[in-house]
Amino acid sequence: MKQLLNWLRRRNLEDDLDRELKYHFERRVNDLILAGFPEPEARRRANLELGGVTQVQEEVRDVWLTRWLRDFAYDLRFSARSFLRTPAFMTTAVLSLALGIGATTAIYSLVDQVVLHALPVHDPERLVLIDWKGDNALVNGFGSYNLMPYPVCRGLHLQDQFFDGVFCRALTTINLSTSGDAKPAAAEIVSGTYFSVLGVRPALGRLLTTDDDQTPGASPVVVLSYDFWKTQLAGAPDVVGRKVLINKHPMTVVGVAAPGFHGIDVGEVPSLWIPATMSAQAIPGFNGMLDHRTFWTQILGRLKPGVTLAQAQAGLQPWFKAMLEEDTRRAGFPRITAERRQRFLASTLELTPAPQGHSVLRRRLTQPLWVLLAATGVLLGLACLNVAGLFLARGSARAREISTRLALGAARGRIGRQLLADSILIALVGGLLGVVLAPLAMRTLIAFLPQDAAANALQSAVDTRLLLFALVVSVATGVLTGFAPALEAGRDSLISSLRERGGTAFGGLQLRKAIVTAQIAFTLILVIGAALFIRTLTALLAKGPGFDTSSLISFGIDPLRNGYTPSEASRLIRRIHDEIRASTSTQASTVSRGQLLAGGSWNNFMTIQTNQRVTTERVVHLNAVTPGFFATLGTRIVVGRDFGEYDTLPEDKGGQRVAIINEDFVKRYFGGRNPLGAHICIGTGPDAKPDIEVVGVVANISYRGVREEWEHAYFPMAAGGSVYEGGNYYVRIQGPSEAAVQSIRTILRNADPTLPTIYFRTLDEQVSRSLNTERLLATLSGGFGTLALLLSLVGLYGVMSFAVTQRTREIGIRLALGATRSGVVWLALRDALAMIAAGIAIALLCIWALGRLVESLLYGIRPTDPATIGIATLILCSATLGAALIPARRASAVHPTDALRFE
Amino acid sequence: MPSTRFPIPQGTLDMLILQILSLEPAHGYGIAQRLEQISKSVVQVNQGSLYPGLHRLEQKGWLKSEWKQSETGREAKFYSLTSSGRKQLKVEKESWARLTGAVQLVFDEGKS
Repeated sequence: MKQLLNWLRRRNLEDDLDRELKYHFERRVNDLILAGFPEPEARRRANLELGGVTQVQEEVRDVWLTRWLRDFAYDLRFSARSFLRTPAFMTTAVLSLALGIGATTAIYSLVDQVVLHALPVHDPERLVLIDWKGDNALVNGFGSYNLMPYPVCRGLHLQDQFFDGVFCRALTTINLSTSGDAKPAAAEIVSGTYFSVLGVRPALGRLLTTDDDQTPGASPVVVLSYDFWKTQLAGAPDVVGRKVLINKHPMTVVGVAAPGFHGIDVGEVPSLWIPATMSAQAIPGFNGMLDHRTFWTQILGRLKPGVTLAQAQAGLQPWFKAMLEEDTRRAGFPRITAERRQRFLASTLELTPAPQGHSVLRRRLTQPLWVLLAATGVLLGLACLNVAGLFLARGSARAREISTRLALGAARGRIGRQLLADSILIALVGGLLGVVLAPLAMRTLIAFLPQDAAANALQSAVDTRLLLFALVVSVATGVLTGFAPALEAGRDSLISSLRERGGTAFGGLQLRKAIVTAQIAFTLILVIGAALFIRTLTALLAKGPGFDTSSLISFGIDPLRNGYTPSEASRLIRRIHDEIRASTSTQASTVSRGQLLAGGSWNNFMTIQTNQRVTTERVVHLNAVTPGFFATLGTRIVVGRDFGEYDTLPEDKGGQRVAIINEDFVKRYFGGRNPLGAHICIGTGPDAKPDIEVVGVVANISYRGVREEWEHAYFPMAAGGSVYEGGNYYVRIQGPSEAAVQSIRTILRNADPTLPTIYFRTLDEQVSRSLNTERLLATLSGGFGTLALLLSLVGLYGVMSFAVTQRTREIGIRLALGATRSGVVWLALRDALAMIAAGIAIALLCIWALGRLVESLLYGIRPTDPATIGIATLILCSATLGAALIPARRASAVHPTDALRFE
Repeated sequence: MPSTRFPIPQGTLDMLILQILSLEPAHGYGIAQRLEQISKSVVQVNQGSLYPGLHRLEQKGWLKSEWKQSETGREAKFYSLTSSGRKQLKVEKESWARLTGAVQLVFDEGKS
């Protein structure tokens, strides 16, 4: 390392040494003159004693750099000069590698940011996620994954023999108004220990503390994120003490968090942090903060130094057991069967390392990203092979030069190193270009990602980690590409290579054939992968959500976040619904509680009462909808009836409790029997009363995503009742969409100008958003497959041309002796066929072995699908044979006399 | 005259440089002169090999250097011992003592 440093500052070192030696020399000359020598003689003697200034300089340089490195620097210079003489070769090689390195770097940057990067907090390695393992007897839950009740966090925080503190957090969206209109903003609801346990410092003011986390509703304070403060409030220095409105509740800004801290979820960038005591204000209608059966936060802890994860996990169980016992005696504990109670009491706490925090995005993207990184790795390997092939070709062109150098006494190692310098230089230049191109690729990639937040949270900038990665990849690439030619240079005996002149095969033809075979194998793997992902996407697009998405528009509002009471909100939603239906530019409109195709759902276990009572094996996805939901979406009613307005009346006004279920529900739990008239209810405890009558069955439609097939149950949304059930509107428009959008916007503005629209998009757009990951995989793998195919075609063509040229003389003789033209074509093609067949065999083996790694990402197709593999193989065969045929035909066109004169 | 001086044994030059610099900081020419004096012209040091030695020791972190005004008034590069250099000198002295002691033992054995 020191030597590399020396190389960078060698100019300084040289000057220094010059001065030093000059001083010595002149002092010596002076002394000798004083001793009585005439000046010329003094100079001669001084020089003699030193052993020559240049000699000393050389020796000192060796100390600085070590001999090997110095020579290598010379090699690089020589390589650079020789490359500049062959620009076409250099451009091809550099571009191939730049492509490979750029793509790998771009994908790696995402892997690094989403999967690997530790949180920018104090000592993230000691953070652990604490999760419930077993039956948690949940009564109420919302959020993403690893959910826990808030009181558990308070209890765990006191377990200070294992933890340096424990905190919890929940993500939510709030309506935030700093001045003027409210806008939706991401917020993290956190315990008072959050900042201190993470070790985050304030940039301004103070952060939240346990003092803010005592009494519910008593701490109306917030901390802003640095970015929000800078971009939305222009970095106002007087921000501390300002009032902001959170869902219309006034709260005071007490500080700004340190720059670079974006919460603990890489995919979500909170604008502000709100203490858990204010959760009722931050999540309208929520009052479960202190409830032991409401699961809504993620809990993370910081292990004490010296305490291992296993020790903490084992040590916490007695405390947890006691808590479980206490829970069963607590008011609000659900009535459950004895067997389920046993399962509840057998629950344990599970600790997992969480230096990267907690992220839904990571959960979703980890596998696709690794698959893509592997694919770029293969692509880079292909590029390496291509360049190695080019080098080998160049190596044989340079055979004379190398033989001459060997004859003049160069060591084989020295020649090999020269060739290595060639490839490393090319790889470094390619890497540099790749790094320049990478941000472009990263931006494109990020645009593919599933969430809006991801676009804010992920960077397309190149940081030092990434530079280091690119450097390592480049050097590895250089060594890999240089390895084959360097090996080849050391192989041939000097005599034979000097003697050899346009004779039979030479120039590492065997090695080049092996390279092309590997290229074909790599390519087929990528092409099959591309075919699988493209077929997955097309299958999902063809399946669709189960209803006609054209001219369907959706938008969402949440009046509760604007200070409405639940009954006011229900009335507002009804009013808007009625006005939209009355508008001339709409055909039909409906409101539902759950948003379709957005990844989430309202779900719970259910109890079904026919002639026997059964509980569902897994959760059922639930939705509350206004009458006309199925008609608006165009979903077929299979048997029974749709909801009518009378179903929405409260029970005391003659309303009935009814439900509609989907075909999957019937298939799973009724097994062909008639479900009409059966009674169901939400929940599974002994006190669950199945009193909701099934009145209809509808065709399956997608709820959480296009891919999923699941059991659904729908309930009528109560009209004007006191129960608020959400505001996701689905409107089928009529005529030009601009006019319809305009009129809907006007209706919304007239209803409440201060109410923000959470989202507003066509259903086609919603479908396409929900298929982001699949589209990312299909597009990228398709691109990689095409590139790979091009690279290996070039490789095969090159080798075939070379082989044919080498054999011109032989072919000429054969022709002269009476071989047919087609015989010659076959002669040339035979080689190509062998390479293609071997490549295909290797690839199929790999696919067979690796297929299950991508299985879960596919839809409607198996990784070993014969048709897909057959088509991909056919594409590869025809393309490669085409590339091989050109040189083969050229071989057959050889004129015997020309060929014999060739020599 | 050269015949009466024997060339310095391989590897001992570094030790001598460290020893000289342990007394006081000096520049290259000064070290060369001190070598001449100390060894009373018995040991022959090729002045040219002094500089690679100095740079090697500096790279190892045993010496540090700085440009200072010399006794003639011109700027010269002065070398001085670092603390790790001081330790190294101790180590080398000890191993030298052990080596010479061992060699002496072998010689004595032959005598008796």
